[in-house]
Amino acid sequence: MIFDPILELFRGRAITIPPMDGAFRPNAVLDETPVLAELPQADNLCALGDRLLASSGTALIEIRADAAPETVQSFASPITALAAAPDCTLTIALEDGTLSENGTPVSLPKGVTCITALAYGPDGALWLANGSDRHPVSGWVADLMEKNADGSVWRRAPGAGFKVMAKKLAWPFGLLPDAKGCLVSESWRHQLVRVEGSTVKPVLRHLPGYPARLAASADGGAWLAIFAPRNRLIEMVLQETHYRFDMMASVPRDYWIAPAFASGESFLEPLQCGGIRTMGVHKAWSPSRSCGLVVRLAPDMTPTFSLHSRANGKRHGTCSVIEHQGRAVIAARGGNCILTAEDRT
Amino acid sequence: MTFREQLQAWRYNLVPDHVIGEILTKRWTDNAIPFLALVIVVASFGSAIPGFFKLYSLQESTRQLGEFSLVVTGLTVVMLGGGIDLAVGSIFALSAFSAVSMVFIFEQPVWLAFAASMATGATFGAINGYLIGFLRLRAFITTLVTFIIGRALYDILVVNFGSKIQMSMASSDTWDFIGDGTILGLSVPVLSALVLAIVTHIALTRSRPGWHVLAVGGSRRSAHNAGIKVRQTVFMTYVFSGLCAAAAGFLIATRLSGAGPGTGHGLEILALTAAVVGGNSLGGGRGSVVKGIMGAIIVMVMTNGLIRLGYGTGTNQMVLGILLAVAVTIDIRWLKNRHKVLNEVYVAPVYLRMGEAPSAVPGSGTPYALNSELSGATHIGLGEVEGPEDVILDRDDHLYCGTRHGEIVRFFAPDYTRSEVFAHIGGFPLGLAFDRDGNLLTCVGAMGLYQIAPDRTVTQLSAETRRSFTSIVDDARLRDPNDLDIAPDGKVYFTDSTKRYDAHEWTLDSIENRATGRLLVFDPSDGSTKTLLDGYRYTNGVTMAHDNKSLFFCESWACRIHRYWLEGPKAGTAECVIRDMPGYPDNINRASDGTYWMAWLGMRTPSFDLSLRHPAMRKRMARRLPQDDWLFPNINTGGVVKFNDKGEILHTMGDLTGLAHPMVTSMREHKGELFIGGILNNRIGRYKIDGADTGWTSNDSYWGASK
Repeated sequence: MIFDPILELFRGRAITIPPMDGAFRPNAVLDETPVLAELPQADNLCALGDRLLASSGTALIEIRADAAPETVQSFASPITALAAAPDCTLTIALEDGTLSENGTPVSLPKGVTCITALAYGPDGALWLANGSDRHPVSGWVADLMEKNADGSVWRRAPGAGFKVMAKKLAWPFGLLPDAKGCLVSESWRHQLVRVEGSTVKPVLRHLPGYPARLAASADGGAWLAIFAPRNRLIEMVLQETHYRFDMMASVPRDYWIAPAFASGESFLEPLQCGGIRTMGVHKAWSPSRSCGLVVRLAPDMTPTFSLHSRANGKRHGTCSVIEHQGRAVIAARGGNCILTAEDRT
Repeated sequence: MTFREQLQAWRYNLVPDHVIGEILTKRWTDNAIPFLALVIVVASFGSAIPGFFKLYSLQESTRQLGEFSLVVTGLTVVMLGGGIDLAVGSIFALSAFSAVSMVFIFEQPVWLAFAASMATGATFGAINGYLIGFLRLRAFITTLVTFIIGRALYDILVVNFGSKIQMSMASSDTWDFIGDGTILGLSVPVLSALVLAIVTHIALTRSRPGWHVLAVGGSRRSAHNAGIKVRQTVFMTYVFSGLCAAAAGFLIATRLSGAGPGTGHGLEILALTAAVVGGNSLGGGRGSVVKGIMGAIIVMVMTNGLIRLGYGTGTNQMVLGILLAVAVTIDIRWLKNRHKVLNEVYVAPVYLRMGEAPSAVPGSGTPYALNSELSGATHIGLGEVEGPEDVILDRDDHLYCGTRHGEIVRFFAPDYTRSEVFAHIGGFPLGLAFDRDGNLLTCVGAMGLYQIAPDRTVTQLSAETRRSFTSIVDDARLRDPNDLDIAPDGKVYFTDSTKRYDAHEWTLDSIENRATGRLLVFDPSDGSTKTLLDGYRYTNGVTMAHDNKSLFFCESWACRIHRYWLEGPKAGTAECVIRDMPGYPDNINRASDGTYWMAWLGMRTPSFDLSLRHPAMRKRMARRLPQDDWLFPNINTGGVVKFNDKGEILHTMGDLTGLAHPMVTSMREHKGELFIGGILNNRIGRYKIDGADTGWTSNDSYWGASK
């Protein structure tokens, strides 16, 4: 309507978010799918040959179909990213900003202290995502609420040193390299970008959540894990400078109006009107700070279908998904578990 | 407190933003735009035309305006009834001709001329009314046809008899007086327009036929279903319009003492423009005589003003057309969006800095520390009962609760598996109490204070109190009566939580946080209701102290418990006994050991407490986000808290699993057990209290051991 721009001066513009529709049409697959392993803080998955490894806090865990998860190695600091090269080199990044390759420390360029994702390209190059210049990985929520865009993506060609490929990214959180470049999920901007040479080009925009790790699928497409949904209230708080900074200064971080890996665990967390439990029912479609969402992307990067754990579900905070032995394996960080889902394509 | 925060506090606590929303709820705000247009038009033409406000000039233009207003008033009534009358111009002309011919050709007295005019109008009106009302033809086409036929008839008559009229020598003083004279400085057309406007206004707003017209215009089908004679009502509106046009025609006949080919030409468009510009809806049912008159003045001043400024007929018509288009657009947009505007501006948050609360986190070591004791409660009526805000037991141990369907449900002792609807009231029954004679009294949200006798007869005890002087929306009516208790002398003390929101929107009041809660008393001896205290942030639970010398009531959004003294040196005053709790208190009831139970409907969260210090943020939130996304206090976790007369907290119970009793709004101790209700829950909890007196009931505590 023609009067709207004038009226918006008085009433403010409505805040909208992309709908969960089309390929994002909700279901409850993640809550129904079988649990492969209960694992606290299950985060990054990687396949080392036939072995399936997962990070869980400070521990590196091997997941086996027929036996209990087994701790492979423990570290002094929480693991933030894992990657395995085709030659079975295992690279591990820690919260304290160190990176090791098969146990050998790797020297990092200055400023790389927040490693959120690692991946080996088909050419053997190691790609590295540095979430932010200002915060460690555990400070991700502060990085979002400060509206930073200080992340970078680095590449180390075989036998060479790290070279920056892209800068000023808003929390790069997932990497999927191919022969020519790398697909990067840029979490705070809700988009996937393609880093190729020195150009950064958006590939998939307006995601309905905060994208995390990416993984290749056998048919040339990809899997994308989304760890939290977009939420109108959070988007509004991001525009409310005074409230946001007061909140960051005075409210404990777990109780911020911000995305989370899991929510509803404490009565001190914020509650939105739609989330009120009425007649014993917590509405699945109510606004939430966390969710579980895994998206399947076709080779041309259009979403084809998705697996959900909605507001009333428990398997939230899906940070990582990989295809392993013909099925998708999903780590739900908020749900403290690792799930498997049959390929539905 | 920073300077910015102080400024916010002043801005949002001293400027009464809520007034805007309350004014917008008034129907008369529909008049605002036409009134503004009226002021602008009169002011601009008044300043552009020299001598516009001179007495003679006004006298002449008001005569014309009076006649025109008569026509517009008639047309307004037709439009309110959902129709349209294009024939007013030709009726006007024919009536003028009737009057003139009666006096100048037949040389009859003036009253007969008037009667002839009115008969002409009534006839044409009746033809329109019959065709549209009874034969149900389209109003637009039908009146267009009568307009054309009437106009043709008039033209024929004027051609054949015009010269005869001009040559006539007949004269009458009465006739001249009506045309030229004044009474108390007012001309006859102005006087008659005023009288007609007042009578029509009163008829439309305060009489049965007037209401019928509005009802038919609002919705024909609903009016029919309500038993209104739709066809007859429509018929009468056209007859009325015909009579109004006829009266105007008579007046112009006396003023001009003749009838020419131009009489009444284009009048229907002028009148239609006036009615619509005034703000009468073309769709019917919405509008008023005052609007019609405003529109008439706007149109008259504009057309006359443009002519006097030297613009021709073309310009005049153009301006009228644009005016009509703008008015129709605004009418439709406003009608469609008014409730949206109201929604967006109604919530007007205030600034509040909540005090630091002791922690309620399990293991924090404070008396408020929550636990999951209540998750061990067994359930009653799971899935059968919806929204038992309060629960109570009678002397036979039967259990009563209100539901969101407006019913009082009774569960039968001893196992409470069977239930029946004890009484249907409507509204949302909230607080419950038994009086000395076993009557069940309840505060019904959105309705008032009601009594249900043991034989199930429902009686309204109170629905209003005295209106406060500064109120814009009538605050005499009780919007959200919430909880009550009964003193030994039979007086009922009860709370009305908010003046700003209806009972079902009670949670929105927490966003606004304006202090409008009241404590009231109903005196059964004379049936009066008095306001004892006003200006609390959501007054909620009420209970008489064990010694009946004072009562406790809570202020939910401020997380406080107050004591109101009924006797002693502090009688009539309230003091705060418990402040800065970590939860939002709801109902309060007596416990068997001389202490009190208090329900917590929800818990404070740091993010919401902070938002209370950012009223501007909450205001934008209410405007920019759909309601489902608004930040609320955490009302998914509640509890039951025990406190004593001194305000000391003794014990806290909760259900941190959130599965059985996420929100607790009431609890009632009875024979060693606690019965737990929740306004958004689907069950009543039954919890065994360790070490409680298994013989104690609240009925005995209030009214003595059973007979």
